[in-house]
Amino acid sequence: MSAIKLNEAVFWVGAMHWDRRLFDELIPLPDGTSYNSYVIRGSEKTALIDTVDPDCEHQLFKNLQQLNVKKIDYVISNHSEQDHSGIIPRVLSEFPQAQLVTNSKAKTILAEHLEIPEQKFKIVEDQDILSLGDRKLKFVMTPWVHWPETMTTFLEEDRIAFSCDFFGSHLATSKLFTDRDPKVLRDAKRYYAEIMMPFRNQITRNIAAIKSLNPAIIAPSHGPVYRDPEFIISAYEQWISDQVLPQVVIPYVSMHGSTARIVDYLVDKFMEIQIEVLPFNITVSDVGEIAMSLVDASTVILASPTVLTMAHPSAFYVAYLLGALRPKTKYIGLVGSYGWGGRMVEVIKPLLSNLNAEFLNPVLVKGYPRQADYDSLDKLIETVKEKNS
Amino acid sequence: MDKYVCKLCGYIYDPEKGDPDNGVNPGTPFSEVPDSWVCPICGAGKNLFKKQ
Repeated sequence: MSAIKLNEAVFWVGAMHWDRRLFDELIPLPDGTSYNSYVIRGSEKTALIDTVDPDCEHQLFKNLQQLNVKKIDYVISNHSEQDHSGIIPRVLSEFPQAQLVTNSKAKTILAEHLEIPEQKFKIVEDQDILSLGDRKLKFVMTPWVHWPETMTTFLEEDRIAFSCDFFGSHLATSKLFTDRDPKVLRDAKRYYAEIMMPFRNQITRNIAAIKSLNPAIIAPSHGPVYRDPEFIISAYEQWISDQVLPQVVIPYVSMHGSTARIVDYLVDKFMEIQIEVLPFNITVSDVGEIAMSLVDASTVILASPTVLTMAHPSAFYVAYLLGALRPKTKYIGLVGSYGWGGRMVEVIKPLLSNLNAEFLNPVLVKGYPRQADYDSLDKLIETVKEKNS
Repeated sequence: MDKYVCKLCGYIYDPEKGDPDNGVNPGTPFSEVPDSWVCPICGAGKNLFKKQ
């Protein structure tokens, strides 16, 4: 994709990774992704904000060439992760006069990962201003969205907040700008669920920092640029709030049908009492979809058979994700089946200790569920209903 | 002075060492660490620490 003009001084020079399907060897990318990099041409100095993933470096250099960028004075690194920083050494070698502008925490990470020499760095602190002549950049520390060193660069005259991963979405699109596109919102929610959710408490402070800038545009490092910042800010405010929706997420795996029968029963009953239920067969589900369902849901019921005395490895995986992503889930249930014994509760419960959730009475069924088991499931359903009413 | 451990990741705050990289001087007891301070490893808030 070619360079795109945001205004007379600001240009997108990033890369579209249309066919990337996995990030961190972990996160599915159904819509690909983009790495947004921006050139700002001041009357005296030129700045480049973030770079692109090394897989796409040719796109950045092609865009710089197309814009006839002969000189870069400042390369600004808002975030040290390699999909934005990985080709900084290459940029610094192409533009040897450029200084690398970042904060002291990022300096350590960049120096250690990319072997950037000490003299290249220009260290900035919160609220520092860097003049490009007729335009000024202000640096605002926004830590833990999603690394300790993340920051936002604010172009004061144009009121553009370059927020890096904060507010981003994994979405490759030929439309650089978005207004209130539900598809962008969905991808931004997925991104929040996968990347930002563990830092919910830190996000509150960072939203306040961004709001205080009163940006006209939020230009993140992945996905489209928001011309209506309120759209994404208000969505984030909802996602990070303590409010939950009366939804029951049921990640499940079944080997010979017993656990599947339990899940069928739960799903039918929750539908009958009109509580929204979101079952995910873990083995065929996109883990991002599961993560997204955890953003709002009040309740998660994990369902697993017993394998070699433990939960099924797929159930372990989801329990691990729950503990790592730390959603605002209020109630957690565990259901499943076993042949002759096992330690399902003992092995799953510790993985969930990071969650501030109430652990509901587990229902574990020996063999195929029978009436007494359905009675236990009815009690679980009743409890969930009461908790969600 | 008591050490405090992060309940999420196990990082141990040692008051003798403080956390100078994040503005907490050596010798600062946990009770005097600012509320805005977070675990330098995982980002957990101060309220998620317990006495070791």
